[in-house]
Amino acid sequence: MRDLYQEQLTGLADALADMCGQAALAMEHATRALLDADLQLAEQVIADDVRIDDLRVAAEEKAFGLLALQAPVATDLRVVISAIHGAGDIERMGDLALHVAQAARRRHPQSVLPDEVVPYFIEMGKIATALAHKAGDVIRSRDVETAATLEADDDAMDDLHRHLFSVLMGPNWSHGVGPAVDITLLGRFYERYADHAVTVSRRVVYVVTGRMPGPLTV
Amino acid sequence: MAPPALPQLLEQLSELLGRMCTEAATSLRGAGAGLLDGRLRLAEKIVASDVMGELRAGVEDVATDALLFHAPVAGDLRTVVCAIRASGDLERMDVLARHVAEAALRRQSRCAVPEQVRPAFTEMNRLGVEMALKAAEVARTRNVLLAVELDGDDEAMDDLHAQLFGVLMDRSWPHGIAAAVDVTLLGRYYERFADHAVLVADETVTAVTGRRPREVAEFLRAQRSATG
Repeated sequence: MRDLYQEQLTGLADALADMCGQAALAMEHATRALLDADLQLAEQVIADDVRIDDLRVAAEEKAFGLLALQAPVATDLRVVISAIHGAGDIERMGDLALHVAQAARRRHPQSVLPDEVVPYFIEMGKIATALAHKAGDVIRSRDVETAATLEADDDAMDDLHRHLFSVLMGPNWSHGVGPAVDITLLGRFYERYADHAVTVSRRVVYVVTGRMPGPLTV
Repeated sequence: MAPPALPQLLEQLSELLGRMCTEAATSLRGAGAGLLDGRLRLAEKIVASDVMGELRAGVEDVATDALLFHAPVAGDLRTVVCAIRASGDLERMDVLARHVAEAALRRQSRCAVPEQVRPAFTEMNRLGVEMALKAAEVARTRNVLLAVELDGDDEAMDDLHAQLFGVLMDRSWPHGIAAAVDVTLLGRYYERFADHAVLVADETVTAVTGRRPREVAEFLRAQRSATG
C-alpha cells in the first residue's frame, strides 16, 4: 500500500515534469516559427497545445486520486496542493507558446520581427525554454539549488524585456505602431512564460523548506 | 481544539472566494478610477493593499484543514480542489488590477489614456468590475446559470479589446509609440482579468456538476433552445 502511494506521488511529479517538457518544446518551436516565419511549425504548435491541456487534466486526476484514496498529510499534502497549482501554471505556459505561434501565423508570410529586435527574441526564446526544462528538473529532484538558478534566468528575462521596450520607444524605431504593438505583446508572452516557470519552481522550494522565497515581481 | 466540521469549512471556502472576487472588483474599480479619472490616491491604495494575499492564504489554510481532518471524497473533494485553483486565478486578477493602477501612477503628469480610447477603457473597466462581482455571487451561491452568463460578458470584453486594437492600428493614431505600447498592455490586462473571472466561475461549475464547464454550457444552451 505504502509503495503504491510513493509510486503515485512520483507519478504525479513525473506528469508535471512531462508537462514542463512539452511546454518547453512548444516555446522552442513557437520561437523558431516566429524567427523563421515558418507557418508549418506555427500550425504544429497551435495544433499540439491541446496535448498540454490533456496532460493537465491527467495530472489533476492523479492529484485528485491521491487525495481521495491516500489522504496524504504534512509534506505530501503540500506536494499535492502545489501540483494542482503547478499544473495550472504549466498549462498557461503552453498557452503563451501558442500565442507566440499565433502571432507568427497571423503575419505570415511576413516576419513579425524587425531586424533590430531579432536578437532579443532569440535570447528570450532560449531563456524561456531553459526555464521550462529547469522547472521540470526541480519538480523531479526537489533540488533547491537548481530552483535558485531559475531566479537568475528570470532576472535575465526581465532585463531583456525592459531593453526591448527601450528599443520600441527609442528614437530610431522606424516601423510604426503596428509592429510595436505586436512586439509589446510578444515580449509580454515571454516574460509571463518565465514567471510561470519560476512560480512552479518556487512552490517546490516552499514544499521542501516550508518557506516561500520573496515575492515575485510580475 | 477540534477542527470545524466539513460543511462549515466548505462554507468558509465559498465565503472566502466570494470575498476574493469582491476584492478583485474593488481593486479594478479603484485602478480604473486612477486611470480614467486621475484618482491617484486611490490607485496608490490599490497598489499598497495586501488584502488579497491574506485571503489567498486563508483559502489555502481552510482547504488544507478540510483535506487533513476530513479527507473528503467525490463532490466535497472537488469543491476543495476547485477552491484552491480558483484562488490562484483570483490572486492573478488582483495583480492585473494593480498593473492598471501602476500604469495610472506612472502617467501622473498626463492622462494615461488618449481621448480616443477612453470610452473603450471606461467600458472595459465597468465590465471587468461587473464580471468580478458576478463571479462573487457564483462563488457564494453556487449558481451555475449565472456562471454561464460570464461567457457572454467575456465575449463582450474581447470585442472591446478588438475595437481597441482597431483604433491603435489605424494609420491616423497620433499619440506615438509610447502611448500605443501603454494602451496595448492595458488592454491586455483587462482582457486577462476577464478571462480569469470566467475561470473562477468555471471552477464553481466544475465543483457543482463534476463536468467540464463547456459541456455544461452546451447542455444549458440546448435546454434553452428546446424550451424557448
